[in-house]
Amino acid sequence: MTGADDSVPSLARLSSGISGLDDILHGGLLEGGVYILQGSPGAGKTVLANEICFRHAARGGRAAYVTLLAEMHTRLLQHLRPMSFFDESVIPNSLYYVSAFHTLEGDGLKGLIDVLRREIKGQKADLLVVDGLVAAQESAPSDREFKKFINELQAHASVSGCTVLLLTSGLLRHVSAEHTMVDGVFELEDQLFEFRTERSLIVRKFRGSGFLRGRHSFRISDEGVKFFPRVEAVFASASRPDTISDAKIPMGIPGIDKMLLGGLPEATTTGLIGPSGIGKTTVGLHFLSQSNAQEPGLLFGFFETPERLCLKARHLGLEVGKAVDRGHVELLWQPQRENVLDELAHRLIDAVRRRKVKRLFIDGLGGFLESATSPQRVSRFFSCLTNELRALGATTIFTMEVPEITGPVVRVPSSGVSALLENLVFLRFVERGSSLSRLLSVHKVRDSGHDPSLREFYITDRGLHVGEAFEGVEGLTTGVAREPASAAASPPPAAPNV
Amino acid sequence: MQTILVVDDELGAIEVVATALEDEGYRVLSAANGRHGLEKLTEGQVDLAVIDFMMPLVDGTAMAREMKANPAFKNIPIIMMSAVGESVVRERFDGYAAFLRKPFRISALIDTVRRVLA
Repeated sequence: MTGADDSVPSLARLSSGISGLDDILHGGLLEGGVYILQGSPGAGKTVLANEICFRHAARGGRAAYVTLLAEMHTRLLQHLRPMSFFDESVIPNSLYYVSAFHTLEGDGLKGLIDVLRREIKGQKADLLVVDGLVAAQESAPSDREFKKFINELQAHASVSGCTVLLLTSGLLRHVSAEHTMVDGVFELEDQLFEFRTERSLIVRKFRGSGFLRGRHSFRISDEGVKFFPRVEAVFASASRPDTISDAKIPMGIPGIDKMLLGGLPEATTTGLIGPSGIGKTTVGLHFLSQSNAQEPGLLFGFFETPERLCLKARHLGLEVGKAVDRGHVELLWQPQRENVLDELAHRLIDAVRRRKVKRLFIDGLGGFLESATSPQRVSRFFSCLTNELRALGATTIFTMEVPEITGPVVRVPSSGVSALLENLVFLRFVERGSSLSRLLSVHKVRDSGHDPSLREFYITDRGLHVGEAFEGVEGLTTGVAREPASAAASPPPAAPNV
Repeated sequence: MQTILVVDDELGAIEVVATALEDEGYRVLSAANGRHGLEKLTEGQVDLAVIDFMMPLVDGTAMAREMKANPAFKNIPIIMMSAVGESVVRERFDGYAAFLRKPFRISALIDTVRRVLA
């Protein structure tokens, strides 16, 4: 007998069929397991359990949905009908709805376990949902009887290979009998953050399997339930090794590429920092205009629609619209609404993976920051996100807007984030006589030399052009340029206060 | 006074239907599943059965088929009701006198009951 023959077979999984949830559960529920799904009314338990049933039926499985509440299935089905997963054709052959409220009222837990057992057998169900566990608990004459009920249900689930979801509005305030007995406890919450709410899941317990710990956001829409595994958990290690190369990715602006000694180091992350109107998006459009079949580009933007971006590019003499038509560039616009931070990150990563994006322009960091309900996680979030983008081979430029139009101080929007960026390029306005000039400087480039000079740049209908280094002018980094009283006595320009 | 048996696993549905029928002057018996429904039929004369489709233990179509197979009950007209479409119900059993798609208005219930009992 070989070692493989001796090995214990791993527990089979039952896919939830829900986007993101199987990732959190490292592959899905364990077949024949009994799980508690708990949360306050409105947290999303019923929709989630129903979608799991419909997805299961769509894959050829059979499910029974048993309610213990005085709730009408008719109403429930009416509420589910607009959702994309709802398919009436699977009812009742693959998905069967019954109420055991009467049984529980009349025959107690003994009658209930009999109904559940018969429904598993009669419907040949390999998935059973019991909605309203709290009603069973309330009707139990003692804790001992309730434990006995859970124990019997577990035994039936195990021998029949039927996975059971127990829905309850009771919260895990203390460790109770049912929580210790079942195979897993999943808690749904709908948290209020000042004016907005965000739904989340915490897996409290999941026997026999690893899982992604902590809080994970989810959203309910007409498309059903979508989970967004927390970026710091799911990308704690990048999905593939970071392959370092010496290759450079040209920005597509000769003057900047010259300052960068050929371009940005491949698969690095760059912060493009400057005030509104300075030309950050213009730099990004140049970068994307260099995209081709070998180096696909992606603009992940929060501020301008794809149509406006194409028009803007055309006014700069850049053929971004044609690159979009050829499939070399994708413009993904994220309207500024109540976005979920992890949802944005997953949308971005999915888009990068889907087209093997090599040139990524994110316009801008503020869109992510405004979606964060917990500012304390922003730095770690970006660390994991940028690690994954590097591992995917994307050379990424983030725009980072600063509030000051001119002045001696450049406030980086999030100092914790700027430390994670390998390359920093500053764009600033400088007052020169009666007009504003644009100033560009490269402050750091990973493992590479660069031209540190301060250069003026111009935006024309032929794009962005970098001029020569400023000569014979001082005070540039204060925001007000002036002719030196004496060239010999002029001090060197001060380093920007970052 | 005519007697109507209402069989539904949802307490709310039974209460609404029973109250509406009692208001119309009918005597109403109720049961929470097909098995209890068949037991109720033996308790006395029933003129009409209003049966839900999906129920635990013995479902609506199984109960209806048993009624049609029993000479004592085979002439009792049946109104089937369900939250799913009639075609799904008809695939399993088509010997009913009328069908009501849930949710329905009380007026539709009363009209259907009157028509079937006429």
